[in-house]
Amino acid sequence: MYSSAHPRAYSACSGCSLCRLVCPMWRARRDPCYSPEGIAKARQSGAALAELAPALEACTLCGACDPVCPEDIALSAMIMALRRELPPHPELVALQVGYRQAAESAAADPAGALLLPGAAMRADPALHEKVTALLGIRAAQDDGADIAVALEIGGQIAPQRLRRFLDGLDGRGLVVGDGLLLAALRRWLPAARLQGLGEALGNLNAIRRRIASADFYVIEARAYHADHERLVAHYDALRKESGCAMNLDLQRIAMPPHASAYPGLRIGSAREDLAQARWLLQGRNPARIVVENAAEREVFRRVADVPVLHLAELAASNEEIHHA
Amino acid sequence: MPGGVSSRLISDWASALKIPPVEPGTVGPCPVAPDALQGIVRQQTNAARWNGAGWREFVAELGAAGVALAEGAAATGIYATDAGGTAYGLPHGVLVARSAAQVAALLMAAQAHRVPVTVRGGGLTTEGESVAYGGVLLDMTGMGRVLAIDAEAMTVRTEAGIYWHDLAEELRRAGLDYLSAPLNMTSSVGGTLGVGGIDVNSARLGCSADQAISLQVVTPTGEIVECSDSENADLFQRVILGYGQFGVITEATLKIRPYTPLSMHYYYYSTLREAIEDLQMLDANDASDYSGILTIMDCAVNLLVAFDSSEREAAFKATWEKRLRGHGEFGFALCVAGHYAMRPWKLGEALYLLKRKQAVFPEFRRAEFHRDGRMEDRTVVFSRAVWKHWGSRNMVIPDLATSADKFIEAVERGNAVCRKFFPHYTLYCVGIKLRAEHKPHYEMSCVPPDAAGWAYGCEFEPMIEDAVYSRDHFQSFKNAIYDIGVDLGASYYRFGGMMKGYIRRVFGDALVDRHLAMKRRADPAMILNRDVIF
Repeated sequence: MYSSAHPRAYSACSGCSLCRLVCPMWRARRDPCYSPEGIAKARQSGAALAELAPALEACTLCGACDPVCPEDIALSAMIMALRRELPPHPELVALQVGYRQAAESAAADPAGALLLPGAAMRADPALHEKVTALLGIRAAQDDGADIAVALEIGGQIAPQRLRRFLDGLDGRGLVVGDGLLLAALRRWLPAARLQGLGEALGNLNAIRRRIASADFYVIEARAYHADHERLVAHYDALRKESGCAMNLDLQRIAMPPHASAYPGLRIGSAREDLAQARWLLQGRNPARIVVENAAEREVFRRVADVPVLHLAELAASNEEIHHA
Repeated sequence: MPGGVSSRLISDWASALKIPPVEPGTVGPCPVAPDALQGIVRQQTNAARWNGAGWREFVAELGAAGVALAEGAAATGIYATDAGGTAYGLPHGVLVARSAAQVAALLMAAQAHRVPVTVRGGGLTTEGESVAYGGVLLDMTGMGRVLAIDAEAMTVRTEAGIYWHDLAEELRRAGLDYLSAPLNMTSSVGGTLGVGGIDVNSARLGCSADQAISLQVVTPTGEIVECSDSENADLFQRVILGYGQFGVITEATLKIRPYTPLSMHYYYYSTLREAIEDLQMLDANDASDYSGILTIMDCAVNLLVAFDSSEREAAFKATWEKRLRGHGEFGFALCVAGHYAMRPWKLGEALYLLKRKQAVFPEFRRAEFHRDGRMEDRTVVFSRAVWKHWGSRNMVIPDLATSADKFIEAVERGNAVCRKFFPHYTLYCVGIKLRAEHKPHYEMSCVPPDAAGWAYGCEFEPMIEDAVYSRDHFQSFKNAIYDIGVDLGASYYRFGGMMKGYIRRVFGDALVDRHLAMKRRADPAMILNRDVIF
């Protein structure tokens, strides 16, 4: 059942199709093969991995399917596991290797809470600096970017690499920029104090009071769905308080602005992303778009003629940042 | 199996055929129990698989016309069964619909090659009506776009494969809503218009099919036709509530209304009769905007009443609430506690009630779906609860649809059948306002022929939970419910597929033969949704 601690396997899929309603991969194609239900049902029918490959490759891993599944099937985990059986993309493996090599030379972090910014934020040094200042915590030398890529592409994670990464995080408070890594860390470090970047920033007064009723607020889907039961209350309160519109559907599922696979790794067709972002904005006339995930600014800037800001950019002045 | 055959003979017969007993967790070899369908000439209710004759030529001809069918386990496996989960079959190939022209090309070729085409929307049938036993499975969910919203005329034009939930999603951004739709997010518009569609506001606004103003239909021979009550009215009358026999709905123009959240009230009863009498009293007096009955047990009956506006709510409170015999939650809890304190041997029943209440009630009160005490999205709330607390791999939901005056008897007799077959079950009762001018639409449909003003429907849904039942058990249960309908001269929502043995009994040969003749004229090769009704 919803949010149970004991997820079930694909064989439990009863074909209710609820996962389709929230699946950007399905919305972009309207073909049930491109949905978690389609993949689960195909597996029940003995479909070969090669037949499933196009759908497995197309999944955005937004995790929207997980909280809506009444059978509590770990659908995105099923897709990630199947992806690991597919032939790797050489360019993505090379990306993972590059991040890992960088991590190997990282020094140990001093004690205290850490920010794991993720590759998208590291690619924007000004934003990165602003976020660390707002949160008042240090960015980790090793933020597990290679592990995040491996999770996304179904790549291998060497056990000793994972152990070293987790050893450096154990017992700390962590703010995690990459939603997929955040979800994995919840499993790997069940006792850790973990927050997604959106939640952490949204809890700061300097940010929260600047969210306006005319804003369209874009929740980072992966972090949200990985802890949906708790975060639905957090964002519900934020929505009531600010009056802003959000990328939540009627089921309170966060619809991501990406509909192509590997968002943030700059692979895949942008056509589906643009259509998805336009659909999110259809019938809405926001004065401003506020995103939690830095990688999502670009797609909105291409389809909307209003300012698109990262959440951290709402706290404009240094003074505010200082007092956050 | 003719009636009067002794159980000994049946046993000998089964033994001679070496039919093994049904083991838990398995499906028996015979879809119909030897003791089922009493009084009905035995007929194949689980349709025979089409033999595939000429399939390759058919695929090639369609391919040349630019219509590619998907084959293989990944494409067909998703359609192996429907929401009922008791009928299984695989199509030879699948077409995810993209346009009316493409559907027309498919049906023209299917007529020429005599290839059966089974149409599927949300796949929420329970009797295998949307399961393809060979041939083509036409999945309409590929046509799911909203085409135009007219906020002045209060209409929407949409592709018919759209889920009601997706339609609501887009209407809501304009502050609008559909009128009524099934309380299930994955019902499709086209599928619903073909069978009825019941909401908790149907006692006031009618069934979903009644909100259709006009349709674009692809006929079984591949013509694309616009129809309404004033244009091609005969086709419109047959397609609405026509169980997919007379055409594929590809677009629909529907009435819409301004969106309003609703305020919900629950009243609790210890008898079905009182709850139904009060439901009918409210409906007859237009005392509420929404009404329905949902039971936990037959001694714990919930009458829900809801309102779109504060004015309607205030009028109800001033005039009608005091006439209701149900209790509030706290008062009912006291009654129940007193009842079971005097009957300690029924402790198990009391614990079940308590467990069910603790599981289900919070689902209807989740904060994220409410604002200022008003429920924002009834379909989301109810659909989530239904799938979470009632859904399972098997969903067996026989129903009875009667005129208002026969409804209490139908429900009480159906309830007795449920008690005999299952330890736990739920009844869902709702009224449907009928429109006199739509009488031609209602012919040979779920609307009983003797109903005037309102029809009433009751679904009898066993709680399968973790239990394992044979298909024979399910079929016998459904037959026992449907026999009540024959006795009462009622109708059913789900009379197709595996239950079609009842069609002639309940509608009579003359009416069925007239519709069959129309079907043969419209669909000479009898390819469209074969075996569902005829």
